[in-house]
Amino acid sequence: MFTRRHLLQSATMGFGYLAFAGMNAAQADQQAPQNPLAPKEPHFPAKAKRVIFLFMGGGPSHVDTFDYKPALAKDEGKSGKYGGRLMKSPWEFRQRGQSGLWISDVFPEVAKHADDMTLIRSMHCDQPLHPGATTQMHTGTSQFIRPSLGSWTLYGLGNENDSLPGFVSLNPPAGGARNMGSAFLPAIYSGTKIGGPGGQFFQRFRGGSGETVPDIRNPNLTDRQQRAQLDLIQTLNREKLQRDKVQPGVEGVIESYELAFRMQDALPALMDTSRETQSTLDMYGIGQNETDGFGKQCLLARRFVEAGVRFVEVTHNGWDQHRNLKADLQTRAEGCDRPIAGLLQDLKQRDMLKDTLVIWGGEFGRTPAAQGGDGRDHNNKGFTTWMAGGGVKGGYSYGGTDEHGYAAVDKPCHIHDWHATILHLLGLDHKRLTYRYAGRDFRLTDVHGNVATEILA
Amino acid sequence: MLPIRAASILLITLFAGITSAAELTTEQRNFFESKIHPVLIRECYGCHSNKAGNVRGGLRLDTKQLTLLGGGSGPAVVPGDLDESLLYNAITHQDFEMPPNRKLPQTVIADFRKWIEMGAPDPREKALGEIQSKVKPEDIQQAKENFWAYQKPVKHPLPQVQHQDWAKTDIDRFVLARLEQAGLQPAEDADAETVLRRLCFDLNGLPPTPEQIAFFKKGWQQDPDRAIAYVVDRLLEKPQYGERWGRHWLDVARYAESTGRTVNMTFPEAWRYRDYVIDSFNEDKPFDRFVMEQLAGDLLSKKSDEEFAKNLVATTFLAIGSKDLNEANRIQFRANLIDEQIDATTRVFLGTSVACARCHDHKFDPIPQADYYAMAGVFQSMETFFGNPQSEYGAFQGLQERQTSTLLVMPIDDPSPGGKSLSDSELQRIKDDLEDKKSQLVDLRRSSSNPMQLLRQRAILFGSMSVLSNQIASVDQQGKPYSFCMGVQEVDRPTDARLLVRGEIDQPAQQVPRGFLQVLSNEPAKIGSNESGRLQLAEWIASEENPLTARVMVNRIWQHLLGQGIVSSTENFGSTGQSPSHPELLDQLSTRFVDSGWSVKTMIREIVTSRVYRMKSTFNESFHEIDPENQLLWRANPKRLDAEAIRDAMLAISDEIDLDRPHASIVAKAGYTRVANGQLRLPQDTSAGMMRGPFGGGMGGGRFGGRFGRIDNPLQGEKAKVRSVYLPVVRDEEPRSLSVFDFADSSGIIGTRETSNTANQSLYMMNNPFVIQQSEAFAKRIAEQSSSTDRQVELAFVMAYGRPATDSETKAAESFLRKFIADGASRSKALAMLCQSLFASAEFRYLD
Repeated sequence: MFTRRHLLQSATMGFGYLAFAGMNAAQADQQAPQNPLAPKEPHFPAKAKRVIFLFMGGGPSHVDTFDYKPALAKDEGKSGKYGGRLMKSPWEFRQRGQSGLWISDVFPEVAKHADDMTLIRSMHCDQPLHPGATTQMHTGTSQFIRPSLGSWTLYGLGNENDSLPGFVSLNPPAGGARNMGSAFLPAIYSGTKIGGPGGQFFQRFRGGSGETVPDIRNPNLTDRQQRAQLDLIQTLNREKLQRDKVQPGVEGVIESYELAFRMQDALPALMDTSRETQSTLDMYGIGQNETDGFGKQCLLARRFVEAGVRFVEVTHNGWDQHRNLKADLQTRAEGCDRPIAGLLQDLKQRDMLKDTLVIWGGEFGRTPAAQGGDGRDHNNKGFTTWMAGGGVKGGYSYGGTDEHGYAAVDKPCHIHDWHATILHLLGLDHKRLTYRYAGRDFRLTDVHGNVATEILA
Repeated sequence: MLPIRAASILLITLFAGITSAAELTTEQRNFFESKIHPVLIRECYGCHSNKAGNVRGGLRLDTKQLTLLGGGSGPAVVPGDLDESLLYNAITHQDFEMPPNRKLPQTVIADFRKWIEMGAPDPREKALGEIQSKVKPEDIQQAKENFWAYQKPVKHPLPQVQHQDWAKTDIDRFVLARLEQAGLQPAEDADAETVLRRLCFDLNGLPPTPEQIAFFKKGWQQDPDRAIAYVVDRLLEKPQYGERWGRHWLDVARYAESTGRTVNMTFPEAWRYRDYVIDSFNEDKPFDRFVMEQLAGDLLSKKSDEEFAKNLVATTFLAIGSKDLNEANRIQFRANLIDEQIDATTRVFLGTSVACARCHDHKFDPIPQADYYAMAGVFQSMETFFGNPQSEYGAFQGLQERQTSTLLVMPIDDPSPGGKSLSDSELQRIKDDLEDKKSQLVDLRRSSSNPMQLLRQRAILFGSMSVLSNQIASVDQQGKPYSFCMGVQEVDRPTDARLLVRGEIDQPAQQVPRGFLQVLSNEPAKIGSNESGRLQLAEWIASEENPLTARVMVNRIWQHLLGQGIVSSTENFGSTGQSPSHPELLDQLSTRFVDSGWSVKTMIREIVTSRVYRMKSTFNESFHEIDPENQLLWRANPKRLDAEAIRDAMLAISDEIDLDRPHASIVAKAGYTRVANGQLRLPQDTSAGMMRGPFGGGMGGGRFGGRFGRIDNPLQGEKAKVRSVYLPVVRDEEPRSLSVFDFADSSGIIGTRETSNTANQSLYMMNNPFVIQQSEAFAKRIAEQSSSTDRQVELAFVMAYGRPATDSETKAAESFLRKFIADGASRSKALAMLCQSLFASAEFRYLD
């Protein structure tokens, strides 16, 4: 009996050759034609093998979550540096775990994992508005269209599962193709999105067998028939590519068909969570109103990395508390606190946290001064992200902001530095991870980036 | 999301002017000081004042402004309106209970009642700040003199070129000159089929038929220029032209049929604007007029009721943005509404982003914060209509839908499909029903069931009362349905806006006279005290003196035809945008555009008859090294077809397409209702739906392990055969056939769509029932035309690709069919699979 896998192997042209078919000769020599998604050795040995990036869209307030500022409480009501009145956090901060990391009460469950986390309290970026900062966080620049962090990672390390995309984005916001795009890297390195904006997909998602993404199965054809059809489609596509010589769009089409064909088997199996135990579901807060949607996303993230997907991004939006901070931030945090804690715990009990890098963070933080009575404005000069597992220190705090939390002053970590550090944790030298395009070598960090070596375990 | 404020120190000087306290009579002042103020101090300030620090519910009552502004639930006091005054609501223990657990004496309540009814006179004026701008008049003047986009476009002499004979038009000379300077050459002419396919998709969004191809090729052999000119004229005359180009406009106009955001309520009359836009393009309405109508159609002179109705519909442009109806604070909601209107107006027509000046001076462009509030004054002097008409019985909004609005009645007889005639007895029955529900509501208030139950029952009652009230309001006295539209109207008394410190509604500073952007004006706006200035705003934008309007529009046209704009940041012509690749050409086109009477068709004709448009898309490695983005146009940009063109082309080739315009929209048929879980809710279950949000019915109980099948959902339009522009566009619920191919995010102003190639698209083309069904119809069509396999294959390629198959393509297709049939598949199934393969292939979705 034929499986899709057999059919694929018997297909005339190996998966991946195509990405290189259109390249000029010099480049083709430089990178021998092979499956561009085949696992690759990193530049140097490293602990982290894969990444789960928990992206908190909207800019979560650092001074109410992970950046403890006693002076802010003390100076409550005084004039802020740039106008407005300083507002202390409505939440208490406490020292957590053996390490005594300060984390606020808004993340009680995550705080229990303090001893596995490194807080980077000196983040900063160049963009003060959501779209620009989000794009910079994902691609290093908001000015040009550049490959995203996930694409670079996949380009650097390949994928461990050839039937699944190597870079998956769960529930990305609308219009965010650029944040998961591969730009000039071959299209196979771009992110595949599952579920659209607003979380409706995961609200409806029940995780049963046969339930995945739309159009995952052909209602009429056998696998064998569909493979024959796909061979014809790809023959036509390859002819076109030969005529056009260089046409990244057509390469993208060709690669996306191969991937789609394999996904038809792999994805339903992967997304069938019906065999997860009740205690696992509970751990992620699945089945509880506030945490159900994001819990499912986190559970899927674990299943994806477990299956060998290199980079999974999970989006949790709505951190833009210009007003109603107390109520809204609480609700936002409640929506993800247990799921994230559950994810860390689950990875740990599967012994996967040691080589899975979990990253948490939004595009910027918020001002220590109040806005609209009970809110905070954007602040890109200082904010906090954290990492856990994958070779980072546990219970560690890196860098810091000024006494109120306006700007990174101690060991500032720019987005470029953050990118360099993430790549380093994966065994990739950000200066060596380059791609030649239009006669020039490009890299994620452009001409910037310093690895925050202190956070390495 | 609000833009960030400037990280600079704002200069605030305090002054105590601009108060109306002086206008209070002694009597009013005494009443307030003796009856109201002491109660506020004693009973409220403890939790609701600036001194209270962390105020409850965001409500502060210690100044007049803050009291009017209210807290998270809305204004505390609306002068003269007891029902809307939440303070009164609270002290009478209706929805709120204040002071908690204790009622004020009846005499005190009566004082508050009297005070609010007399207009809530309040001497507690807050001292207001004045913000001084850091953008000085000299900065603005300097920008006007130095920055290209702020100078009026002028005609430039035609540049000298070496290859004189290549250049057919002025456009060609400008492009060629830049190429020659860079040592590049234009690609050779594409062949007839390629050019025709481009023209048909670019102008009409549909593929050429085999007959058209044969006809065009014949003409091309004799004289390519004439053949092109002939076809272009025909294509521009077809109604499909307006559908294609109207859709481009709908992308930037953020057209959608629902509010989006938290409480996604439908816009049942939005379709009128869609049709208006399509008609405007088909009529080749002068673009300056098109601008005027959309911004100030309600204020233009009119010759007939029909014209007036059309002009009103045009102003839907200002009403159709996404809205958060869950916003509790009315003033905040209004500020956000105005912000959205300013943002859309400036980015769509002027390629300039003004919205960041809401909170601070623009950081990069010479736009002081005051310019934003000058425009805010114009927009705050108008009312926006986007909701649902309600009768004199009132609007019974749901728990989450906290902001409501009504619609405009047009002076014509063209009701939406939802509108039904009502007989006298029907009308009476509805009124009786409503009265009955009203008394149920009163009973409910008296009953003492538990609060959750109470809230739930109340929401259900409100839901049905809202529907009933709307039914009454939707017909005239004879019971004939009104024809409604969205849009705007002037308010009776226009007012200037106050600048808001950091854009915060509770931080008003000085008043700013109504006006426009200084950097784009030669003189201050002339706005009479009793007019809003919106008409002048529209005239200022639609003027040939405005340096940006024509440029921004011709750049959009250029982008759609050539694949990238001369300014690639189509909504940002400011200093952070991209500079033009061909500045003189952009000027040239802009002046031509104005000279032609702002004719979009003329501009399109000029571009597509140029040699530049006719180039091949052949790759050239050494040119690529010099100009990787092809900014100088050394070849044609291969373009991926957009979502509509892909779907419409399948329908056209299968011959299943319905080219007639459908009346209205599915959303109009559903009426005003909430969209939840991807479904249009029917009016009768709206009330239950409104309960679902805050109390989350059922979701948590659902065990992980059930399944959701494919929903046959009219919002997805899977059975529809109309052109894609007529599919429903509900925010966050766009049809998959469109969203999978990078449909414009309908909440955003999208001048340039993304073009991705994803596995999701592949799954769609391989497995989606609509695609499969279209492939079968395509196969049936060619099988009817010929029974010979050779001929069928030939036809399939010509129809799908607009060109004959190559030998190897023919071979591959024939061997596919043979193998398949040998394997036991029927001929028709094999042919359908071949047809689907063509739809699915890269060539089908690319325009080379």
